Amino acid sequence: MLSMALFTIGIVGVLTRRNAIIIFMCIELMLNAVNLLLVAFSKMHHLQLLSTNAAAGSEGQLFVFFIMVVAAAEVAVGLAIIVMMYRNIHSVDINFLNRLKN
Amino acid sequence: MNALLISAVMGVLMMFSSFMLKSKSAVRNVALAGMFLILVANILDTYGWHLFNIPTEGMMHFDRFSLFFNSIAFACTFIFFLLSARDMEKVGINYAEYFSLIFFILCGIVLVASFQSLLILFLGIEIISIPLYILTGSDKRNLKSNEASLKYFLLGSFSTGIMLMGITLLYGHAGSFDITVLIKAGEKPSSLAIAGLLMLLFAMAFKVSAAPFHFWTPDVYDGAPTVFTSFMATIVKAAAFIGFMRLFSTAFYSLHDQWQMVIAIITALTLLIGNITAVFQQSIKRMLAYSSISQAGFMMLALFALNGTATEGLFLYVAAYSLATIGVFAVLIKMKDYTFEGFNGFARHHPFLAAVNTVFLLSLAGIPLTAGFLAKFYMLKAAVEAGGFLWLVIFAVLMAAVSVYYYFRVIQAMYFKEGDAPVSMEVSRPFQWVLGVLAFLIILLGVFPNALLYWFYF
Amino acid sequence: MYNFLQIRLSAFLLDVNTVGSYIPVALQVLIVVGLIGFLLWATHMLGPKRKTSDKLEVFSSGIGSHGEARQPMAIKYFLVAILFVLFDVEVIFFYPYAVNIKGLGWHGFYAVLMFVGFFLCGFIYILKKGALKWED
Repeated sequence: MLSMALFTIGIVGVLTRRNAIIIFMCIELMLNAVNLLLVAFSKMHHLQLLSTNAAAGSEGQLFVFFIMVVAAAEVAVGLAIIVMMYRNIHSVDINFLNRLKN
Repeated sequence: MNALLISAVMGVLMMFSSFMLKSKSAVRNVALAGMFLILVANILDTYGWHLFNIPTEGMMHFDRFSLFFNSIAFACTFIFFLLSARDMEKVGINYAEYFSLIFFILCGIVLVASFQSLLILFLGIEIISIPLYILTGSDKRNLKSNEASLKYFLLGSFSTGIMLMGITLLYGHAGSFDITVLIKAGEKPSSLAIAGLLMLLFAMAFKVSAAPFHFWTPDVYDGAPTVFTSFMATIVKAAAFIGFMRLFSTAFYSLHDQWQMVIAIITALTLLIGNITAVFQQSIKRMLAYSSISQAGFMMLALFALNGTATEGLFLYVAAYSLATIGVFAVLIKMKDYTFEGFNGFARHHPFLAAVNTVFLLSLAGIPLTAGFLAKFYMLKAAVEAGGFLWLVIFAVLMAAVSVYYYFRVIQAMYFKEGDAPVSMEVSRPFQWVLGVLAFLIILLGVFPNALLYWFYF
Repeated sequence: MYNFLQIRLSAFLLDVNTVGSYIPVALQVLIVVGLIGFLLWATHMLGPKRKTSDKLEVFSSGIGSHGEARQPMAIKYFLVAILFVLFDVEVIFFYPYAVNIKGLGWHGFYAVLMFVGFFLCGFIYILKKGALKWED
């Protein structure tokens, strides 16, 4: 439930904010919500299948690791892009992003 | 398997070659040789020569479908390298790194084409996307490139978030990431599974730029350096489609009736928006971006139908579309002016280039005797066989007719208008040779589609 | 009515595998989304608004501000920080290995060795590229 709330905050943030870095943080929030939910589901399946399979539900937690690493890679690239943008126009406001519209 | 490992190693190798090799032509030759090696290794893999033996049960499954697609994608990349490798020099100073990123993207493409677990799908999509963000922004001084890259990055990672949520909800339903056991046949799916399915559907529709999730495409394709737009619009997009197809034909086949309507609506919208907006464009690069949206609409028909004809048609479509678009972009890169006026009188100054460009555009428009026609024909046939949605087929034919208009505007500018069509750089002889071979391939596929499809079965 | 709800709910809670058992989840999602939307809307409507340019100015004892408060930071810090984050987070893959080090045996060891090898490639690359050179 908490994760759903987090996820929703993330989506609302992405859709309403105008600052690239805040949008970026909201996206990270979405990813973390997913992580939380994955761990919860993993625990649920673990308890359900405990009698037949002692390792049930472990793949959910494995997935969390992968999400974290990929998120870190994304942070690196994203921040680099934002810094590059900032050096050129001295702003991180996405309202500046309208040069491509004809 | 062969191709995956070799392309990963090639990526690392290209990274090192950036400071070990001094001349740019050496870097280029290494990249070309590596690409050729990957292509050969993949074909060997198809015929049972596995160079590596690594157990991947439950994670990846290399079947005919994925290996065949890999061959097409690698062949297209090879041609892309031959045509455009020289033009990458002008983008920036990190020449070898661009190749390295492209090899990493190829790794992602292999993963997406052959995943069996949703984990691999996610990793593949990310391995494709993250280098693409960098390539889009690689022209660091150019504001348009920066902007396109930031936009692509924000929207791309947003859709990744949605996709992850979908995967998680499906995991909550099934307790596994394996797509073969995700939804059991005959079982009534829970609301969790339905929500997960829809989220995955939306995220994948975003990745293949189907309307109404297409809004990033024109801006990103327009802002990115033209060389990388060419790669992005063809091979990467095709890979996303193959992943989409694999996911929905394996995991969600039993629910086909329920999501077919959604796909039909998305397809119709994509066709409508892509074609109608393309008509009003002034810049050819932007027109090609919209045309790639409308072509995505046709490829969605395969997803809508999901039968044998659709699979064959999708392969043919991917090959025809990628080859033709790579060709058009390769010619476009040489031009100084990207508007329609820039092509005025092109045929008089460069008759050969104009002729091959005409072949590519005719193929994109779907004129008979070119590969594009048969590809479209296969798609429509598959949709008719699926039954029940005749309005969609009629609509698709109408939209194909609209698309002829904007492709012919380019041909008209090249042949029937006066002008001097400024070309920004010299056109070398090998370049013309490769373009000629490309045009020949397109006509060959248009006359004998079985030349390609035969390979799929044998 | 209350009784009816009670019975239904307990039946749902006992039987965790049906579609119906997710109805509370869906309800809660609705409430959460609704609440967030309502709060955003309410604060937007209720909050006082003063649309003047004065508000946007920096206030410092009535003296107008000049200059940029944020000094441009050297790009080196940024680069090193990002590289640190990357290398830091990759260590996450060692945790599962550390827990199962006995069970995975030599096979697991080779896999981890390969991982570290790839890692080292990246490290050599950034060294050669001069990303870690502190003094120019």
